Amino acid sequence: MSALIEAAQPKCEEDAVASQAPIRLLVVDDHPAMRRGLVELLDDQPDFRVSGVACTAGEAMAAAGAQRFDVAVVDYHLTDRNGLWLSRRLNRLTQPPSVVIYSAEADGMLAAAAVAAKAHGLVRKTDDESRLCDAVRVVAGGGLVLPILPWQVSEVVRRRLDSEEQAIYGMLLAGFPVAEIGPMLGVSSAEVESYLDAMLRKLEPVGPWDCHP
Amino acid sequence: MAVMSAEDPTRGGRRARRYVPLFHRVAAVNVFLLLAAVVVTIAVLDPDRISSFVVNEEIVVLVAAVLVMGLVNLYVLRRFIRPLQALAALARRVDLGGRSERMPAAAPTSEAGELAITFNQMLDRLEAERREATGRVLAGQEAERLRIAQELHDQVGQELTAVLLVLSRLQDRAPDELRARVLEIRDEVRSTLENVRRISLELRPEALDDLGLASALAVLGQRFGEHSGLEVVQSISPELPQLSPEVELVVYRVAQEALTNVARHSDGDRAELSLTGDDGRLVLVVSDEGRGLSPDQLPGTGMRGMRERAALIGATLEVANRGPNLGGCEVRLVVPLAEPAGGSAR
Repeated sequence: MSALIEAAQPKCEEDAVASQAPIRLLVVDDHPAMRRGLVELLDDQPDFRVSGVACTAGEAMAAAGAQRFDVAVVDYHLTDRNGLWLSRRLNRLTQPPSVVIYSAEADGMLAAAAVAAKAHGLVRKTDDESRLCDAVRVVAGGGLVLPILPWQVSEVVRRRLDSEEQAIYGMLLAGFPVAEIGPMLGVSSAEVESYLDAMLRKLEPVGPWDCHP
Repeated sequence: MAVMSAEDPTRGGRRARRYVPLFHRVAAVNVFLLLAAVVVTIAVLDPDRISSFVVNEEIVVLVAAVLVMGLVNLYVLRRFIRPLQALAALARRVDLGGRSERMPAAAPTSEAGELAITFNQMLDRLEAERREATGRVLAGQEAERLRIAQELHDQVGQELTAVLLVLSRLQDRAPDELRARVLEIRDEVRSTLENVRRISLELRPEALDDLGLASALAVLGQRFGEHSGLEVVQSISPELPQLSPEVELVVYRVAQEALTNVARHSDGDRAELSLTGDDGRLVLVVSDEGRGLSPDQLPGTGMRGMRERAALIGATLEVANRGPNLGGCEVRLVVPLAEPAGGSAR
């Protein structure tokens, strides 16, 4: 069910150097027990260092503005905004962290919307915890860990997105950065960003889970 | 076809009559009065002959006259009484669940006609009130389900996930003799978490809100395959008309209930689900190849729930065995779309 696409990225020498230093993590979850569990689990990994913890999307943005993180591990359900919104905002920082969304569900519209929100990873809470750690390592190295969309979901994606948006969606799935997508389609980066906003609106789960506007 | 809406003998059936019918009583009184009138008439007209010998011809004429008058009386009476009997029969068999019968040709030309009109109006009112009450109950039920699903998801789910994270960590640090036990507990917690997730999805079909009816039904069928081993063969028409959220929810819930019944009771391991929309109506059919319904089977609460939901959107629900050589049972929901769909739900 949750087979992974791990888009291989070209390795460069800087990565090899960076991999010596621990991966700096920001943990965002509104549930105290979850936060504690996540921090303990991730801090236990020899190559990780949890250097920031936030309860809300607002706190997370503040933390990410003040300090540089390599990866943000974000719960989808937050009290103020959801993880998709946070992912979009984090991606607009000058030195954006990679984002892993940690959620109870990862096979519905959330999986489709995560692409448009430019999340790099989506991990199910019921999966083995090692999955989360592996996903953090992959996205820290520039890769993507997104679940394959079930056909019912990809059908909805096809139906809801127009042809330009579908093209952008495909490129995002293949791991192209926004800076490269613009020139390929002959539009500015700002236009790509507004396409992304529109796509996220069309794909974002509207289910009862998403009770936080 | 053994239709499940068989009459409940304790309630809907005809009761044994314990009284002399109105028709007989009025007829008896009339005949008695008639005879008395004849006797009095004779006595008044010709008192001398009362005690004396009565001529044969006179008796014949009198008896014939009494008979004719009696018959005319009975005939007229019967005509008056019959509409009342029809009304009583209708009142006995009327079913408020769906769109029920009405007294035909109710015209205000007699008291019986007035009664029939009033009766029809009362049925209209009762049905409207019942629909409204059912609507309120079901809306309340959906809201409650949503609340429980969210609670399960946001609270229980989060807490179990947190426990899972702690257990994973313990597992690495536990002494060898405890490690296997910790691993076992972790797996139990994980499967509980899966169950919580499944229950909350059953309580509230988020796929319906996110993906629309067709895809949500596909997901539903797939889940049944994963959790209960029931193979659901689906044929969902790719071009369904635009449906209101109320109609989508009713169709989804009926499909869910029908598949649950197949998985629980039919002994079959295969079900077919089809959804088609044409000629201004939407038709959902869920059928199986199991052992079908026994003729004396009474509708359970699930079945009644389906019927009530169907009535809310003006749809009809039939549950029947598929016929002697096919086996299994079929649930058929027909939603009329010609009238504004869902308009009758409130």
